Amino acid sequence: MQAGTLMQALMSWIVSTPPSQFVTTWQWAWPISETLHFIGLTLMAGSVGVFDLRLLGLAKGIRPGAMHGLLRLGFAGFGISVLTGLLFISGAPDQYFYNSAFHVKAVCLALMGINVVLFYRLQFSAVAAMGPHDDAPLPARIMGAVSLVLLIAVMCAGRLITFYRPPAIIY
Amino acid sequence: MAFLAALEQTALSVWIRETPSVFAFPFILFLHTLGLGFVVGVSVAVNVWVLGFANRYPIAPLKQLLPVMWIGFAINAVSGVLLLVAYPAKALTNPIFYIKLGLIAVAVVALTWLGRQIFAGADPGRVFEPGFRVKGVAATTLALWAGTIATGRFLAYTHSILMAGDVVN
Repeated sequence: MQAGTLMQALMSWIVSTPPSQFVTTWQWAWPISETLHFIGLTLMAGSVGVFDLRLLGLAKGIRPGAMHGLLRLGFAGFGISVLTGLLFISGAPDQYFYNSAFHVKAVCLALMGINVVLFYRLQFSAVAAMGPHDDAPLPARIMGAVSLVLLIAVMCAGRLITFYRPPAIIY
Repeated sequence: MAFLAALEQTALSVWIRETPSVFAFPFILFLHTLGLGFVVGVSVAVNVWVLGFANRYPIAPLKQLLPVMWIGFAINAVSGVLLLVAYPAKALTNPIFYIKLGLIAVAVVALTWLGRQIFAGADPGRVFEPGFRVKGVAATTLALWAGTIATGRFLAYTHSILMAGDVVN
């Protein structure tokens, strides 16, 4: 089986699933899902982004360990955005699989994941022990900066997906 | 409507709408999303802090995040006006657009009031239990932002007129 044929089979299967049927047939499914996708984005900005800013020295006076409590919101926001994102892909997989803006977004998300894992494995214990007015260690600051840049890059690439849509294969 | 049709034909409007450059319409949309992240992101942190953290940890240091919020607000005012210039009739003939502006206005008033309540104390280490009214306004503001996002998204799907020129001519 050729790679192209395999891809066709995969996309045909995806569009036959109930989520795909739902998002492409109910008129308001797409805008409601987009609303949730953006709410997820703001929850991540308000938790991950704000935690990153604390690592970079803003809002000193609050322990990063205390601010880390906001991250639960970030995980909730991430979950909402992933679920709605998968719903979009299920609706028109060809528009994402062959879209360079989406590829960039996926790479940035993967890098973000690596950054998060590295942060928790290498820096979290030191950061959690910081006092309210302490500066974060340099590696943690760098990871915070990388996280912020990637968060913005994900928004940028995500917003540009519409403008890099390939010719339709499925519809 | 004649005014909107004329506005559509200005060089700026035509450029934003029709140039193939990714730095016109797409990039302005990205800036509008970035500003959203700045404004609502900071607001989420501050309001959630009021709702669940202020009784254990100081809130005053979060004041340092407010410039980020106002930068985001400026980005969105400018990018919003540019998006409006590109397709003036699309938004101005849609009631949802006015609901969106109303929600933003109320959210800004609510945040200003909230700021006075929570950042007023002189002691930067102050920990306090916010009262019912403060918590209520904090929660309501979050709902107002959710409504702003929803109305903003629905603008793309509910317009009855795209170009004023199509109606006038």
